[in-house]
Amino acid sequence: MKKVVTGNYAVSWGARLARAQVIAAYPITPQTSIIEKLASFCADGEMDARFIKVESEHSAMAACIGASAAGARAFTATSGQGLLLMHEVVHWAAGARLPIVMGVVNRAIAPGWSIWTEQGDTLSQRDTGWLQFYCETNQEVLDTTIQAFKIAESVFLPAMVVLDAFVLSHTSEPVDIPDQADVDAFLPPYRPQLKLDPADPRAFGALVLPSEYMEMRYKMQKAMERALVVAEEVDREWGEHFGRRWGLVEPYRLDDAEIALVTSGTVTGTSREVVDALREEGVKIGLLKVRLFRPFPHQIIRETLAGVRKVAVIDRNISFGDSGVFAQEVRAALYRADARPPVFDFVAGLGGRDIVPETIREIVDYTLAHDAPTEEFTWIGVKT
Amino acid sequence: MKKETEAKVVTFTSEAEMPMMPASVASTLYNKTGSWRYMRPLYANQTPPCNAACPAGEDIVMYLQLTAQGRYAEAWQTIVRENPFPGVCGRVCPHPCESECNREHLGGAIAIHCQERFLADYAAAHELDLPAVDAPPREERVAVVGAGPAGLSCAYHLRRMGYQVTVFEAKEQPGGMMRLIPEYRLPRKVLEREIGAIVALGVEMKTGVRLGVDLSWEDLQDYAAVFLAVGQSISRELGVPGEDAAGVLHGIEFLAQVKRGQKVGLGQKVAVIGGGNTAMDAARTARRLGAEVTILYRRSRAEMPAIDEEVNETLDEGVKIEFLCAPVAVLTENGRVRGLRLTRMELGAPDASGRRRPVPVAGSEYELEFDTVIPALGQVADLSFLRAEVQTERGRIITDERTATACPPVFAGGDAVTAFGTVTAAVGSGKRAALAIDCFLRGIERPFPDLAHNVQAAPRRRDPTVVRFENLNTAYFEEEPRPQERQLPAAERVTSFAEVNQGYGEEVALNEARRCFSCGTCNECDNCLIFCPDVAVLRGDSDDEPFVFNYDYCKGCGICVSECPRHAIVFEEEVKFTKT
Repeated sequence: MKKVVTGNYAVSWGARLARAQVIAAYPITPQTSIIEKLASFCADGEMDARFIKVESEHSAMAACIGASAAGARAFTATSGQGLLLMHEVVHWAAGARLPIVMGVVNRAIAPGWSIWTEQGDTLSQRDTGWLQFYCETNQEVLDTTIQAFKIAESVFLPAMVVLDAFVLSHTSEPVDIPDQADVDAFLPPYRPQLKLDPADPRAFGALVLPSEYMEMRYKMQKAMERALVVAEEVDREWGEHFGRRWGLVEPYRLDDAEIALVTSGTVTGTSREVVDALREEGVKIGLLKVRLFRPFPHQIIRETLAGVRKVAVIDRNISFGDSGVFAQEVRAALYRADARPPVFDFVAGLGGRDIVPETIREIVDYTLAHDAPTEEFTWIGVKT
Repeated sequence: MKKETEAKVVTFTSEAEMPMMPASVASTLYNKTGSWRYMRPLYANQTPPCNAACPAGEDIVMYLQLTAQGRYAEAWQTIVRENPFPGVCGRVCPHPCESECNREHLGGAIAIHCQERFLADYAAAHELDLPAVDAPPREERVAVVGAGPAGLSCAYHLRRMGYQVTVFEAKEQPGGMMRLIPEYRLPRKVLEREIGAIVALGVEMKTGVRLGVDLSWEDLQDYAAVFLAVGQSISRELGVPGEDAAGVLHGIEFLAQVKRGQKVGLGQKVAVIGGGNTAMDAARTARRLGAEVTILYRRSRAEMPAIDEEVNETLDEGVKIEFLCAPVAVLTENGRVRGLRLTRMELGAPDASGRRRPVPVAGSEYELEFDTVIPALGQVADLSFLRAEVQTERGRIITDERTATACPPVFAGGDAVTAFGTVTAAVGSGKRAALAIDCFLRGIERPFPDLAHNVQAAPRRRDPTVVRFENLNTAYFEEEPRPQERQLPAAERVTSFAEVNQGYGEEVALNEARRCFSCGTCNECDNCLIFCPDVAVLRGDSDDEPFVFNYDYCKGCGICVSECPRHAIVFEEEVKFTKT
């Protein structure tokens, strides 16, 4: 069934079709309509889930942790400041190996107060042990939400499904809403390895001595590494069930490209248009969309970008004192390559400033004009 | 953990052997985290302000809780454990409980008097009997002198404790001052029912017997104790020339005559002198008999001792009140009243009662025409019958806080001792005497609070600290308005003696009981149970203890204390270790 829905509603539909059993959330712009929709699904009896109203994002995640530890499929959604308030328990969810799925609408961090898109909120959760998917379209949002449960529950790590504020969250697109029966066939009920059980009382998450702690972290990393394989496999299965695949990364017109743009989120869609236009003009350019940021698909990226002459990464984020985050990751991935193309980094579109085709052309023009970067990264569009 | 496991070196041979996350091998109940605590929550049952303020010592909060649950019979029984006159008090008590009610800050005090009346009317409609006397019978006989509210209350409580009680009443009918309350405030059948219920418990009632005339102190020798509750029966005189003229009727005599259905020689223009409840009763009664009535009061409205609502109702019924004036002479013509000479008064320095003393304004005398003058200046006790050993002071019998006179086993209470002047205070005084006489006869020592505080016959375990509005967690309460009691329109009231206040029905009573904050008193809202992060709040197994703390695991975080809407839980420092 095709429906015209916003990116936020696509998240809600994904959680609904995945049969999330517990939803605990606190409203924050621009995430609010995700949980409003879920609340009405619950209220109308269209979803058989327990909707827990809480007084903060920290509590939202805490409630999801409790629910997941008790064996329920748990879902929440947040954005910007809310995610930052949640941070302590974001780590906890991963360390407790609870496959919670969370929709996060990327929102710039205050001050200055902003409700518009930027990736700083989710990228600052980079090292928490959560899987992170960055989505380009509403359909991808819906599909990824369902896939995320399957991957998370397979490796016992939580997953974020990330979408850009307003550009995706509040923009409507036609979305294919799969039949519940088909989703049920794809996604079986969650089967926890360990769960809270009054008949067999145990305490979870207690003190661990130096003699065992490191092994638990080793095991988390192994799970992350497995997640790369599982995500690929789940995406393949998804394709079999629904005829669509998203990949961990997506190369676009890269086969004979000399310049590769590296993008994430909605910038990808705009970049595709620019790539097509430049190809018309004879520029050998392609792009690589990074969909899965954690675990980072180093090897695929290394292999995909190995043949190009220059790489231009567009970062809608900044790690203060360094550069854009995606560029750091791409450079690190390429370090082990035999032929390392120079990586240009462009920080653009912070605080929701529009990244339009002209912005991307400016990035390409700069890349064409330089043999190698002359600075760690280049600001795009700063009114100096 | 056992020592040998502790010593064992943990090794892993593969990733599969490594733990995913720490999970205990068994329950952690062995870890009694209560030992971390240094503050302790307690279900204290602090005292609600209404309970503290009730002169009759009623457990108001508890009967409101029972009412809120629709348990009307039990609610009524909760009242009559302390006060056998809820029908009377629900109608005539000035309800000091409501003046203290914390609900005042969020929509108005609970209409407690209407709740009490509702329950009394419910009991009457359903013909509920007072709980039967279940105490083992006692040999001792006790004499009660005076069948007013103090005497009847004392007799009732002593009877419930198993004593043989005889009440001697000078008048032909029991009831004392309650008999004089006009029909439109207190219908006769309400009073008859409540007195009848006390007599039905086995109290011997001897009316028409006046101590000192029909009964001697020697006759009382057969009794193990005597309770004097003779009230104040002598009207104060005006003390001005012409007072003995025809057409001067003293307030309580006038009210008694009307109540008895006697013909009263009332004229058309009536002056009532005084500012107390008797003055209001006399004025409103005269109004109902068709007269034009003016109340003359020597101070101003603020100093009037009458219940404020009574004053308003009096004014609504077309009675005029002239403030700051006092009679200097009753003007007569052929031995009949023709008017009053009055002087203007002004307020001077405060007197012993704290009210400003009225002082005549020189040269301000004036005259008004009246054909009837009703002085209602209050009463004094007739103590002419007393034995000399019973000490008195300024017309009142002296007792200690146990109501004991200087001459045991003679006890005394009610208006003859305290002159509080309300039925409810008299009921409380009689109950105090009953408890004290019981202690006296059984040779038990127990402390009694001073006469300004109430006593309970069936006390619930509680902390005497009174809960105030600032102690409550008002996040849990919304502003909700106090309901209006139904009342006959003023124009209709003056045409008959039909009851003015009509109370309200079950639906309003139920809602009103639910509006109660239940200050200091657990009503099983479950907040503590829900909020406790350590599952250390458990359900108790009795009504007295709806919840108990499992102190083995209570860490003393205090969340239950702050989330209790009604301050039923207090937090106290816990001293576990003392230096030796």
